[in-house]
Amino acid sequence: MASATDSRYGQKESSDQNFDYMFKILIIGNSSVGKTSFLFRYADDSFTPAFVSTVGIDFKVKTIYRNDKRIKLQIWDTAGQERYRTITTAYYRGAMGFILMYDITNEESFNAVQDWSTQIKTYSWDNAQVLLVGNKCDMEDERVVSSEKGRQLAEHLGFEFFEASAKDNINVKQTFERLVDIICEKMSESLDTADPAVTGAKQGPQLTDQQAPPHQDCAC
Amino acid sequence: MACEFNLNFLKELEREAVLEVLYRDQMVRKTEEERIRKMKLQLQQLRWKGAKTARQEYQERSCARCQKSLGLLMNRGAVCNGCSHRVCSECRVCLNPCLWKCTICYAHGDVKVKAGEWFFEERAKKYPGAGRHETVGAKLLESYQNLSKISVVPPTPPPFTESAAGISVMGKELGESKRFNKSVENLFLSLTTHIKKISKSQNDMADRCVLTTDYGKNVERRKQRRSQSDTAINIASRIKSTPSLQQLITGAQNDSETQSKSSWKEEDDITTSPTSDAVFCDGRKHGSLYSLSSTCTESGNFGKANITGEIEFALKYRFRACILEVCIKGCKNLAYGEEKKKCNPYVKVYLLPDKSPQSKRKTAVKKSTVDPEFDETLKYKIEHSQLSSRQLQISVWHAGALKYRVFLGEVVIPLAAWNFEEDSMQFDWYPLKPKLEKPEDGLIQYSGELLVSVRLLVPAQSQSFQFEGNKDHGVLNCQLQVMIFGARNLPMLRSAGMLNSFVKGCLILPDQAEVKQKSPVLKKEACPQWKHLFVFDGVTPAQLQQSCLHLTVWHKSIFSSSDQFLGGAKLGAKEFFGSMDLASQRMLQWQEVLRNTNTWMDFTLVLHSNKENFKS
Ligand SMILES: Nc1nc2c(ncn2[C@@H]2O[C@H](COP(=O)(O)OP(=O)(O)O)[C@@H](O)[C@H]2O)c(=O)[nH]1
Ligand SMILES: [Mg+2]
Ligand SMILES: [Zn+2]
Ligand SMILES: [Zn+2]
Repeated sequence: MASATDSRYGQKESSDQNFDYMFKILIIGNSSVGKTSFLFRYADDSFTPAFVSTVGIDFKVKTIYRNDKRIKLQIWDTAGQERYRTITTAYYRGAMGFILMYDITNEESFNAVQDWSTQIKTYSWDNAQVLLVGNKCDMEDERVVSSEKGRQLAEHLGFEFFEASAKDNINVKQTFERLVDIICEKMSESLDTADPAVTGAKQGPQLTDQQAPPHQDCAC
Repeated sequence: MACEFNLNFLKELEREAVLEVLYRDQMVRKTEEERIRKMKLQLQQLRWKGAKTARQEYQERSCARCQKSLGLLMNRGAVCNGCSHRVCSECRVCLNPCLWKCTICYAHGDVKVKAGEWFFEERAKKYPGAGRHETVGAKLLESYQNLSKISVVPPTPPPFTESAAGISVMGKELGESKRFNKSVENLFLSLTTHIKKISKSQNDMADRCVLTTDYGKNVERRKQRRSQSDTAINIASRIKSTPSLQQLITGAQNDSETQSKSSWKEEDDITTSPTSDAVFCDGRKHGSLYSLSSTCTESGNFGKANITGEIEFALKYRFRACILEVCIKGCKNLAYGEEKKKCNPYVKVYLLPDKSPQSKRKTAVKKSTVDPEFDETLKYKIEHSQLSSRQLQISVWHAGALKYRVFLGEVVIPLAAWNFEEDSMQFDWYPLKPKLEKPEDGLIQYSGELLVSVRLLVPAQSQSFQFEGNKDHGVLNCQLQVMIFGARNLPMLRSAGMLNSFVKGCLILPDQAEVKQKSPVLKKEACPQWKHLFVFDGVTPAQLQQSCLHLTVWHKSIFSSSDQFLGGAKLGAKEFFGSMDLASQRMLQWQEVLRNTNTWMDFTLVLHSNKENFKS
């Protein structure tokens, strides 16, 4: 009955609220490494070669289906420029995960990764999940940062690593999905320690009668 | 903290861009809050399903969740290690071979995960001082509103045009010099109010105007994903908790009036605090117009002190008994109420927006101390669903000789955001604050509660039409039934002594047509029980999605020809006024009715005293 009514009146059942978790993700890195392009590619599947510098902050929302859960992502895009730093770092605290980006054709952006990582450590929570992304891997001709260097740095910092291209849509989706997965892992970890009972939730027990254990008080 | 984040260093155009993002973020946040509130409501309903009364609990051995009685040897149940209640084997969720929880503890944990509490808890390890749910966006907006020089929109704004709307207005007027700390939200509000005024007959039009001009392109983008009702929520959220100009004006009048009356307001015995049972008493003994507040008492016969110190208390909600407990431990470093170091402190509590004597609780007065220990528990009987629209005002006073009172500070706690856990409470110190200068945001004068039950009766034959997607409205002859049970805590009218009350129902359809109903008058009853059924015939679910029901309570005056307005409440969609909490709650309730056809849904509606917001 309900579903019939819904489709008829365009009243999608609790439309935007129809998800299980909401994760906030922040994309950081030097100016013009392709953060905005990366986000647009992921959220809108679009790409423009023109460079429009981001003012302060911006975000997009995308709901994905992952691990049997609907997850709403609020993905924040930040301006790389120093002058916006007070605004952008303020947003670190609310983020569960980060995409730290450099441009494989730009040495300086790679050298700045260490600083960005320090920013995360300073302004974010202790369990912040970070993916290091070397963008513009479509421009192999102009590459100045080798994959190996990128991987080593990631390892050193304890981050996972991807090379990607917003332009050619390489590894964009994979990056976000991996980040979502490790946030999920972190989540169940934190629940493990806080309350063992909820951990079971990720295996998805149902509120059904059959699942009640046959025994009475547990002996263990 | 707030000064760290401000937008002052930005150029005007940049600031516009950032503000636009902040407002969009605010919309997302409100949707999220709404989702979490919904989840918690569902959890609550699950709780109520299994709620036992206190008496049952001790008399018989039964499952705390489904009430099935338990045996002494066979099927004796087991104690849940989450809540320590005994439950039968069917009311358990098995998490692993060695661990189970009762259905409610399981659902409770599930809600916690889904609400993202895990993150706030983890984060609190690094930032223990930070509020759990504070966000930078909210802070930025706030600091922007405090620091900016936005000129106040005059009470009658200029005619609405595209260019005058929304953010572009802020851009233009930023440079103007009038220094009023008026919020951006007020600006939006007065605009929307104005729009509403000039296009009463074209609600839909106005709706769209506000959307596209205020939110600009981003809303266009979002729209694809959002249903109409959703955006309506967000409009409400944009103007949330900002009283309309009218409210501000009437609010201010009330205050000045109250102050002159404050001497007799405070004269009741300061050592008594009513027990929970007395909460919904009919108030007969208060033969005055008490809906005027007795809380704004810092001037007049009342002394003033510099505010210092802190108060320690805990809040607890007993879900089964529906009782809110305010456990007042004590205070420290209070200001002296009078010179010569005199201080006899006591604590007074109101459950706002109800400022009537029924909502007032007091502790005993402690003599000659600025570090009093009270150790008292003040109780309110109130349904959990009601808490989200309430604020707890906890104030400390000095009791001098001859009823001389001095305000020593207060704490106001919005209960919507309070995380009540079953069977646990935490004492914390809260710094005492001076009274707010202006009327409290989003506080609408409370004038009692109306108990109703609503259902949408859909004939069996038209249900099948719906499945076939038949849109012929003539065929769908549904009936909206509204059972008016009764009202409580209605304001007492000084002249009338006793109320002769009746209820009017006004269903406003999408085309602005109004269908009206009226209950009989009940004579001389403070807590009238009409048990009267309103029937709105020949409506379609499609129409109702876009409709709003106004219910108003009136006093039939014997001497004058005009009836006196006591309070009103709304159910349904399409509303610009009121706080976010109330608007969305109303929408949810309405959606419940429309979704659960042929089922009676019970609601306790808070009555508001601003007559001009209701049609009758
Ligand atoms: N070839 C190539 N160009 C890219 C890629 N991603 C971004 N760009 C270009 O790099 C410039 C800066 O991108 P933008 O997303 O604005 O960088 P941001 O400052 O980090 O947000 C723009 O001109 C983009 O078109 C990519 O993957 N490959
Ligand atoms: Mg950018
Ligand atoms: Zn049971
Ligand atoms: Zn339990």
